[in-house]
Amino acid sequence: MGDNIIISLKDIVVEYDGERVLEGLNLDIHDKEFVTFLGPSGCGKTTTLRIIGGFIEPLKGDVYFEGKRINSLPPYKRQVNTVFQRYALFPHLNVFENVAFGLRLKKMSEKVIKERVQEMLALVNLTGFEKRSVHQLSGGQQQRVAIARALVNHPKVLLLDEPLGALDLKLRKEMQLELKRIQQSLGITFIYVTHDQEEALTMSDTVVVMKDGDIQQIGTPIDIYNEPRNAFVADFIGESNIIDGVMHKDFLVEFAGRDFVCVDKGFDPDERIDVVVRPEDIKVVPPIQGHLSGIVESIIFKGVHYEMIVRACGYNWMIHSTIAEQPGDTIGMVINPEDIHIMKKMEEA
Amino acid sequence: MKSKAPSAPYLLWMAIFTIVPLGLVVYFALTTADGTFTIDNISRVGEYSGVLMHSIWLAAIATFICLVIAYPLAFYISRKPENKQRTLLMLCIIPMWMNFLLRTYAWMTLLEKNGLINRFFALFGMGPFNMINTKGAVVLGMVYNYLPFMILPLYSIMVKIDGRVIEAAQDLGANTYGVFSKVVLPLSMPGIRSGITMVFVPAISTFIISRMLGGGGNIMIGDLIDLQFLGNAYNPNLGAAISLVLMVLILLCMSITNQFDEEMEGMMI
Repeated sequence: MGDNIIISLKDIVVEYDGERVLEGLNLDIHDKEFVTFLGPSGCGKTTTLRIIGGFIEPLKGDVYFEGKRINSLPPYKRQVNTVFQRYALFPHLNVFENVAFGLRLKKMSEKVIKERVQEMLALVNLTGFEKRSVHQLSGGQQQRVAIARALVNHPKVLLLDEPLGALDLKLRKEMQLELKRIQQSLGITFIYVTHDQEEALTMSDTVVVMKDGDIQQIGTPIDIYNEPRNAFVADFIGESNIIDGVMHKDFLVEFAGRDFVCVDKGFDPDERIDVVVRPEDIKVVPPIQGHLSGIVESIIFKGVHYEMIVRACGYNWMIHSTIAEQPGDTIGMVINPEDIHIMKKMEEA
Repeated sequence: MKSKAPSAPYLLWMAIFTIVPLGLVVYFALTTADGTFTIDNISRVGEYSGVLMHSIWLAAIATFICLVIAYPLAFYISRKPENKQRTLLMLCIIPMWMNFLLRTYAWMTLLEKNGLINRFFALFGMGPFNMINTKGAVVLGMVYNYLPFMILPLYSIMVKIDGRVIEAAQDLGANTYGVFSKVVLPLSMPGIRSGITMVFVPAISTFIISRMLGGGGNIMIGDLIDLQFLGNAYNPNLGAAISLVLMVLILLCMSITNQFDEEMEGMMI
């Protein structure tokens, strides 16, 4: 990952029909980085991508590309290319001509076009598909054509708008690894939009978690998962138990009717906070050994683990455990201090 | 294989109302009034080649003007949100709800020597302009009456062009002209083809428009056929022969445009 900032968004405001979609968004994207915009639908992630692509001009704020302001530069003059949702391949052109589209517009020689298209098709494992009509391709293959068509122009930044959304789970996982491989071998910036948190964690160097037109947290996948800044991020990235609590003093929090030792500090005395505990961080023990005890309400087999809903102290706790307990059983729960994450209450709560 | 039974009523309909009449036209064209075989009727059509060329020429001009007007309009409508599309299309179609004759009469009163347009110009001391009974008036009438038949097929093809495909072209470096010539035009070819057919065919055989707006000097092939069946020249055999020749000419025109399209479209589906 380079240290140079390639794209910089400053105080971006976007409105659709008078409705604010982005509210003063600020973001720096570094060279050679794999950045993912992650958030639920309507959070403004695609809008942000389209601003970078040049399809939307922000109402207020500035977009910089390598230090130059490019607010109203049309898409065809930008050094970025996009892989669109559902691919948007040209239905009247075959695979070769789809990939060659950008090069032909640049009036390159037939020889150079041929070389570069072949090279790109090889990169996305589609050698030999040149003459195929795009309708004869599977979803995964169309996806690869869309990637090749964008990358053949040697963009400095590749924008990907939920490119794997239409693929089945297995293909999606393969393509995730492949995209990461392509990004690393080309050494260019990828900006990836998704609502799938697992996809974001798998591929990204940096994850930008968004909600309601605002950035909630920016960080590496590990940071975002282990140190979510607020309850929204915690809930959106993986499963979480979010419980009301009171921070009595540094390293001491009360929730679910008792005091716990924790590793957080710096809150006001007796400040009301959210406590976040990951389902896999709750240990199941015999009832008398637990910090808390509860009654198992339901259990689902999830493959690697069981997912249990346990009723304790007025909350339904989600627990991931390799030990199966029967509904109706009473169990004990142990939560270690380092697994208790204290978050400031979100504004609307 | 699906059963052919459900198509039986349609086949019957076709037989009674398409194939039999077509056969009758051929029969009349190749016989004299008393029913003996002749090719005189067909060869006499040559006498009217001037009228034929005139008709083809006026219909071609009208079709071209329709295309030039309808193409950007249809594209504009197809890019609007769905509810606006419906309103705009409705506005294009509403004139068709009025009777064809009335619409054409309206143009007569507008274009006349003492018509509204000339009276308007007179206010500024201009004119009067000679507008009625000219080729221009006939073409205007054709464009006005057949424009919706160009807009609708173009629109129905263009509405299927995914906006993302256009954005993809821009993204890959195409300016407005590039987007048009490399994406929109090839993808809208089927609409252009059916639009041309839908306008050219009725325009070439119209007789009302030429009679009402063109006066005596702009007789068209439709008028000629009308004269043979309902007019003074009463000669259904010649009328049938002219119809037959016209039909062959139209088929020829269509196959030429199709050929041309196929070359343009290349691998288009």
